[in-house]
Amino acid sequence: MRKGLLLVVLILVVGLALSPCAWAKAKTIKVGINAPITGDIPKVGEGSKYAAEMWLEDIKAAGGLEVGGEKYMVEVIVEDNESKPESAAKAATKLITEDEVLAIVGPQASSQAIPAGEMANNYGTPMISPWSTNPDTTKDRPFVFRGCFLDPFQGPVVANFIKDEFGFQKAAVLYDIASDYPKGLAEVFKEAWEKLNGAGSVVAFESFTTKDADFSSQLTNIINSGAQFLFTPQYYNEVALIVQQAQELGFKGPIVGSDSWGSAETVKLCGEACYGLFFSTHYAAAGATGATKEFIERYEKKYGYTPDDVGALTWDALRIVQTAIESTGKLTGDLEKDRMAVKDALANIKEFDGITGKMTFTPDGDPIKCAVIVRISEKGEFEFYKSACP
Amino acid sequence: MVNDKSAVVERANTRFGWFRAYAAGVPLLAWLLGALVAVLLEQTAGDVLAAILGLPKVPVLFGCMIMLKEPTLIPSALIFVALIYGAPILLLGKVLARPGNWVAARLMSWPIAVPVILHLVVLYAIMYFWSDVSLYRMLTLRLTLIAIMLTLSLNLINGYMGEFSCSHPGFMALGAYAASTVMVGLFVNDRLFGEALLPAFLGPFMFPVALVIGGVVAALGALLIAIPSFKTRGDYLAIISLAFLFIVKSMFENLQFLGGARGIKGQPDYADLPTVFCWTVLCIWIINNFVRSTLGKALNAVRDDEMAAEAMTVNTRFTKMVAFLFAAFWAGIAGGLFAHTVRFINPGTFDLKRLAELLAMVYFGGLNSVYGSIVGAVSINLLGEMLRPLALYKWIVIPLLLILVMIYRPTGLVAFKEFNVRKLVQPKRKPEEEV
Repeated sequence: MRKGLLLVVLILVVGLALSPCAWAKAKTIKVGINAPITGDIPKVGEGSKYAAEMWLEDIKAAGGLEVGGEKYMVEVIVEDNESKPESAAKAATKLITEDEVLAIVGPQASSQAIPAGEMANNYGTPMISPWSTNPDTTKDRPFVFRGCFLDPFQGPVVANFIKDEFGFQKAAVLYDIASDYPKGLAEVFKEAWEKLNGAGSVVAFESFTTKDADFSSQLTNIINSGAQFLFTPQYYNEVALIVQQAQELGFKGPIVGSDSWGSAETVKLCGEACYGLFFSTHYAAAGATGATKEFIERYEKKYGYTPDDVGALTWDALRIVQTAIESTGKLTGDLEKDRMAVKDALANIKEFDGITGKMTFTPDGDPIKCAVIVRISEKGEFEFYKSACP
Repeated sequence: MVNDKSAVVERANTRFGWFRAYAAGVPLLAWLLGALVAVLLEQTAGDVLAAILGLPKVPVLFGCMIMLKEPTLIPSALIFVALIYGAPILLLGKVLARPGNWVAARLMSWPIAVPVILHLVVLYAIMYFWSDVSLYRMLTLRLTLIAIMLTLSLNLINGYMGEFSCSHPGFMALGAYAASTVMVGLFVNDRLFGEALLPAFLGPFMFPVALVIGGVVAALGALLIAIPSFKTRGDYLAIISLAFLFIVKSMFENLQFLGGARGIKGQPDYADLPTVFCWTVLCIWIINNFVRSTLGKALNAVRDDEMAAEAMTVNTRFTKMVAFLFAAFWAGIAGGLFAHTVRFINPGTFDLKRLAELLAMVYFGGLNSVYGSIVGAVSINLLGEMLRPLALYKWIVIPLLLILVMIYRPTGLVAFKEFNVRKLVQPKRKPEEEV
């Protein structure tokens, strides 16, 4: 017993002496990533993490982040929120109080971004959710921003596009009633379409529940309703099933989607059935130019697949944070003051030139930016087709 | 079974023999005072000690996170934990054993409430000072206390009653939505419910009422499922209760005036540490009294053999119904507290994942035991946070632990152990002094 204790003490003392890094304290800026690494949407978490890794590489290559003529080292801390609301709140609180980050990027999904935003706002830490579309995320929260456009903008964009492109009259909508994003967007779209074509022009408004895999009854209703096209704002795994089943059941019209289609997995799962379809999104990977192209090529080279919109939006969010930190002019070292300065700088960003378009924040913390209509090409790539600005 | 158990106990006795010998005769009061000194020490000297040891901050959850993140800091973190927690608790516990015993003995001459309340006050002080160091600790602690309530109430059905109920997240959802609707509807200017109806200063008074309303709604939900389903047993009840969980979830997804899939946000911040602590204590106290009452013993009889219990004049249907509704009531209260801690709920929060988490806590901690529920809830919650730096591997380590527990202690860590408050707070004598 006593010998064991002595050994432990000895090991501790030697270990302590051998840990030189323990004594050095460098000037670093910490940025937190609150992402769903595990849980329902791990691909989203992975995209966010990879974008952050690439961003950190850039900063390291530049020798650090320069603020007011002084170089700071940057540390990115990725925290898993398990795609659960309470875990997102815990992760945000940990990043704020334990890791003492200057700003947080994420969480991505609204059901995590709302509780995490609450913590960030209460404890005065700027937070950008790259992907959350629920208005509640940023509403009345001066410290919380977002990196994407909102449903009330996207719905009309899609409706207008279909009207101009095909001249259709009768629409069908199929959406997941249990999931917050598809449901919100489906409603906004219905409203926009009926505004264009008069009441009753949405001839089928069908819903299902998360993890359903058989849509034949809804699709049969849609086909029988005589709809000319189908709008389905679903995620990649459901898109593949819906498109394939619709075509098997003999639906002839085009199927149109929203930014949730913009994942590399969509084409992988859906295959040729999805070629030639349109959806609205934040950016188009194929045929991109400039910084967007550079980002996509680097990402493809490093991780072996084309980045989806989450990756691109996270990248932009990180760049916005970087710009904001740089434009504070000087970091005092007092975390509270610095966070406040970063928040003010974020709110003042004008015409930020991101890879998903130019953005300026409204007083609510929502960006004003353009949407892109993308066509899935015969090679399965996301081709730029048209852009729509507010 | 009996032989097995005593063998396990014996082995544990020899393994932790030195600790048992050391701890013999130290009353709970002395340990608590030791812990109080430890947390006070951390608050005053923690920063300085952390700086001396080269730690970036005071280790937030007993150094586990720092150790996993930066292995080079393991020695510093261990020394910190040993100096701040280990030494004061072990030494002071021992030193204070004699006065502690004297005080405890004096207190025992009063009604039992006096020593219990005194112990609770010290316990609260420990929690308060411990969580005062960081907001993250505070949030984790609050959620852990709520998890204790949930685990204990589920243990009532799965452990004491011996049925396998899967509807607990559903009860939690009913409670969370009811309490949120009351509080957000009355006191918050909100998109869903419009202007606040009552002035804000009434909020804290209304909060317990809202929680109880949540509990009652959950109990009513339980009544709905209990009437048809108690005609069945075993697997069938599990299936019916699972169906209930799905019904509740899709009900909230489709009720647009409750926010639908978008949920409710902006619950007022009333679920602070004292509130959650009081409700947890109340929950443990009442459930413990319930399971030690005649009704609770009848419940155990129903579990062991329903026919025999019926023959021995136990009204089995009534007993099961009461226990089920009672468990649902506490799940509803816990749901309300959960909603006001996270300050956002959506139907997706109360899904199968939550059920798995609750079941894991119950079976990890131990069936049919209040201690077990506390141990299960605290360890699963703290492990989940402490192993954060492992990222993905966390989900290998925790299930592995569960498997090991299920293999070596099939009924959980501390199963079938009675929670006797009197025994807990009374003075401890050394075995030889006990005659």
